[in-house]
Amino acid sequence: MKGILNKKLLLLLGVVLVGLFLTGMASAQDYEIVHVYKIAGIPFGNVEESGVVQAGEELNVNSYQIAPTEPDPAQQVRMIEDLIAKGVDAICVTPNDPSALEPVLMKAQKKGIIVVTNEAVGQKGADWDIETVDPKVWGANSFEKFAKLMNGEGEFALFVGGLEVQFHNDWADAALVVQKEKYPNMKLVTNRIPCGESIELSFTRTNELMKAYPNLKGIIGIGSLGPIGAAEALKAKNMAGKIIIAGSVMPEQSAPYLKAGLIQTGSMMDPKKLGYSMVYIAKLLLDGEEIKDGMEIPGLGAAVVDFEEKTIRLHGVLNITAENADKLGF
Amino acid sequence: MSKMFKKFEFFLFLVIVALIVFFAFSTENFFTLENLLDLLISYSFLGIMAAGMLVVLISGGIDLSFTAIATVAQYIMAIVIINYSGNLFSAFLVAGIIGIVLGGTNALLIYYLKAPAMIITIATLNLFYGFTIFITRGRWIYNFPDWFNQSHNVFSFTAADGTYYGIPLPVILLVLVFILTYIILKYTILGRKIFAMGGNIEAARRAGFNILGLTIFVYSYIGFLSGIGSVGQVLILHSVQPNAIVGRELEVIAATVLGGASLAGGAGSVLGTAMGVALLAIVWNGLIIMGVSSYWHKLIIGLIIICSVGINAYNRKRNALGGN
Repeated sequence: MKGILNKKLLLLLGVVLVGLFLTGMASAQDYEIVHVYKIAGIPFGNVEESGVVQAGEELNVNSYQIAPTEPDPAQQVRMIEDLIAKGVDAICVTPNDPSALEPVLMKAQKKGIIVVTNEAVGQKGADWDIETVDPKVWGANSFEKFAKLMNGEGEFALFVGGLEVQFHNDWADAALVVQKEKYPNMKLVTNRIPCGESIELSFTRTNELMKAYPNLKGIIGIGSLGPIGAAEALKAKNMAGKIIIAGSVMPEQSAPYLKAGLIQTGSMMDPKKLGYSMVYIAKLLLDGEEIKDGMEIPGLGAAVVDFEEKTIRLHGVLNITAENADKLGF
Repeated sequence: MSKMFKKFEFFLFLVIVALIVFFAFSTENFFTLENLLDLLISYSFLGIMAAGMLVVLISGGIDLSFTAIATVAQYIMAIVIINYSGNLFSAFLVAGIIGIVLGGTNALLIYYLKAPAMIITIATLNLFYGFTIFITRGRWIYNFPDWFNQSHNVFSFTAADGTYYGIPLPVILLVLVFILTYIILKYTILGRKIFAMGGNIEAARRAGFNILGLTIFVYSYIGFLSGIGSVGQVLILHSVQPNAIVGRELEVIAATVLGGASLAGGAGSVLGTAMGVALLAIVWNGLIIMGVSSYWHKLIIGLIIICSVGINAYNRKRNALGGN
């Protein structure tokens, strides 16, 4: 009897010791970094997850993504509660509703967990918010590509999603600054047109623009449906390639248009780089490193840091071409 | 009554002619066959829905949920076409049936709950739309089969100057819908009953009209037109976007009321509605072609609606006072 009991005790002791040893190891180098996404199963989130996992492999941390089945803030709150109870090292979160997550994120911070958010500038309860698309950089870069396709000359029009959308206006302003400074032979035919969030409106406006400005040589748009609508208008008139079309598009949706030469070049926020950058920053913070303006993040350029807003702006835009459009997974 | 509306329609006609002359002289490309065709293509869907709205307004009702019905019909049609193939006819059939069923649901709720149609249809707008978003998660659909994606031109040719002209199916659909609505309103007993019901529902009831049947017809009709119109829209744009249609209710109602239909019921005509849609289309189109800055567009459209409705109201008042 006594011997058996002792054996059992020894075994238990052994297990506890091994357990302690493992957790000790974990806190030393194998951080657990979890990204809580908005909803499970959507293509954009799946690609973002691959970036989270990739960062884990490269940085030697245990990083993974979880998400509720509904785009529901309450479910996100529950998931974060569980993560706090589990004692993870860092929580990255893309909130469905930033204000609903405030209390639970503050609770996580109190427990010493690093909190990093995305799409939530100024989130209370977060150490830092990360944004991987800077409309100004994106707009300027997009215009450079567009101008090259236009050979730096000719009339063009500019689509935005709405005249009141700050992001789109910043994008468009930056594009036009590049045009004025570097491509004086290009001419914007009319003010930016608000149609980029609707295929139907972009289709109609493109038809009208072609009549108003017979020398129109290009259309560039922010708002992911503008280029699609413009391409449909050219397609209906058998005019593929007669007008250069460029701008923001969703890869899978734009693939047939790029292949048919109806859209020349596209770009979109890169979900993989977004997922990567969140884990990368979380790891930096866990290592106790300081966030510095201008620090380089692999593949995402130099960070622009707003210390007041606690926002780190990076640049993770994906170029979409006829070759890669249907292989990106979203 | 009819004299007054003839008058208003004539006034509207004059405004449209004046606008056309103005745009034709101030721009090079407004008054061209190509632009006319583009206008018809772009506004075919709005026109089809406006025809349905006209019938509802004449009956004394209103429907704000038809954009959600169109969205539901579009989604279900797209899912059927993509998963079970089929042909154009089945696409229209599926969407038409969905439209009739959802429109009929509106009618039953309005009739039996005896609540204002506006409240009921705002509720069903949210119900239908919310349900669609819940099921589809707001996903866009664009992976249609090739036969669906190719252009469905009923008639096409290339002009001497190399411009390609095509008359796509939705334009023909628009014309057919206007003719059908015209016949129903003008030459059928059903149509006269709808006018009577909108003029004075109590009188219609006492005259022994089947108010339930009429209510079901008008709401199913706008549902049906929204359904088939939404298929026409997909044939042009080759994609389904959950938020593309919902939110355009007021545009359709504005076009219909611009065309002389009364929100109080009992008044309106297909010709007027066609002109109402045309007026909106011409102004939008002309402003862009003239190169007016996009910052001005909404303001100008708003002014035109106020002027037009104001003149209509003035005409009505003068007539009511016994003037000519």
